Amino acid sequence: MAFRGFGGFATSGLIAAAILWSFATTDVELSRLMSAGPRIADFLGRMFPPDPTVMAEIKKGSAETLRIAILGTLGAVILSVPLGILASETMVSPAVFRSIRTLLAFIRAIPLILVAMLMVGAVGLGPLPGIIAVAFHATGMLAKFYAEAIDGVSRAPIAALESAGAGPLVRLRHAIWPQMAPVIARDTIFRFELNLRESLILGIVGAGGIGFYIQTYVRSFQYDKAASVTIAVVVMVMAIEAINVALRRRFT
Amino acid sequence: MSTAIEIDDLSFAHTGADLPALERVSFRVSAGESVALLGPSGAGKTTLLALLDGRLQGWSGRVSVLGAPLDPDLPPPSARRSDTGFVFQEFALVERSTVLRNVLNGRLGRMSPLRALMGSSTKHDLEIARTVLADCGISDLAERRVDSLSGGQRQRVAIARCLAQEPRLILADEPVSNLDPARAGEILALLAGAAQARGATALFSSHQPDLARRFAQRIIGMRAGRIAFDVPTSELNDDATAELYREVEPIPGIGLRAVS
Repeated sequence: MAFRGFGGFATSGLIAAAILWSFATTDVELSRLMSAGPRIADFLGRMFPPDPTVMAEIKKGSAETLRIAILGTLGAVILSVPLGILASETMVSPAVFRSIRTLLAFIRAIPLILVAMLMVGAVGLGPLPGIIAVAFHATGMLAKFYAEAIDGVSRAPIAALESAGAGPLVRLRHAIWPQMAPVIARDTIFRFELNLRESLILGIVGAGGIGFYIQTYVRSFQYDKAASVTIAVVVMVMAIEAINVALRRRFT
Repeated sequence: MSTAIEIDDLSFAHTGADLPALERVSFRVSAGESVALLGPSGAGKTTLLALLDGRLQGWSGRVSVLGAPLDPDLPPPSARRSDTGFVFQEFALVERSTVLRNVLNGRLGRMSPLRALMGSSTKHDLEIARTVLADCGISDLAERRVDSLSGGQRQRVAIARCLAQEPRLILADEPVSNLDPARAGEILALLAGAAQARGATALFSSHQPDLARRFAQRIIGMRAGRIAFDVPTSELNDDATAELYREVEPIPGIGLRAVS
């Protein structure tokens, strides 16, 4: 993109103003930044070597995070089927799909961690508030994807099956479903990956999973144990990504 | 000779349209005949074919297909729909499914509702599918996905699906107008030949007079929803064809009208 003319000048001016405003009002003390160097090194030093004795906690926490992601995704799928239909241009009246789409945009705008905090307040500590939060948050995106999958279905093969004497259910099964299923599978896997990544940190606000141990070890200054958990999280995220790339390629 | 199609004083207008799509259309087609509907876009060919296929309601007049009258307000029962096969201009295949699956879709109206829903084909269904795949020259493509095929191959699949229905009447709406000229002749020859081999009646539309001439025994010219002429192919003259394609110019608020 080229910045030209007055529009370009105004854009550059705005960006410069935003940076200056941020610096001027945030109290960035260079001296503090300088003295922080050795302290960051000290921090990292205390993380080494990572303490391998927390394997049991890592296993327990990861399993719980995985369960939160699985059940949260399941909840989102259950909510997204009806909401996806109601958000589809080709299934309902404009008044209905527009209001449902607005609702979904609103849901998407609320950060997961905020929903999780509210749910911890409502139902107490543990994985349950995490599951509810993930289901709610993910529905904002998944229902929109499902609506797009429905709207992307080509009408011609449906007419062809009608012409061949197939009833409405048979048309749904053999003309509509084969067009939608791969899209829905791909979108659901993608959302599951996001859910798993996002639920890694849910434990920090008490909503269950491996995040709980990161928070506990950092607060009790057991940095070597926190390091082990962090390594486990990084390995998990990379593994999920690799698995999902391979899976998604099958649904084209 | 028995009658395959009998149309008397048929008129139809699409909802919200100013002009009727079909106006006082009458003709008959004998069983086993091969007839072309010739005319420019907007002449009513697609509407007429969809109506004969039982996919349009709300018309007036009398229409009989394969000896049974069509109800102007109700789609025909599925058993009767199987007897009429349809080939679409845009192929109308399930792109992500295999060729064989698409061809077996033509059998759905012939299966019991439960089998159709489960998609469990009988030995007989598979036998028919194999035969029509061979007839259409695409046996080697059976396991390929449709979205990996060329236009000509796709229309062969669509014809195979239509033949798998074991239709007594084959309707085809501009079956080759999405294909290049060489492919078009090939595919139309396949369609006409398959209909003849099965003793099925064929009614296809085209906007290309030379193709209609090559593959039909009789040509019905349509213009602005009306029958302009109805002649044996040998009697088709160039003047009548030219008249069919005479320029039309849009009149604001009315739609397409012939220039006099």
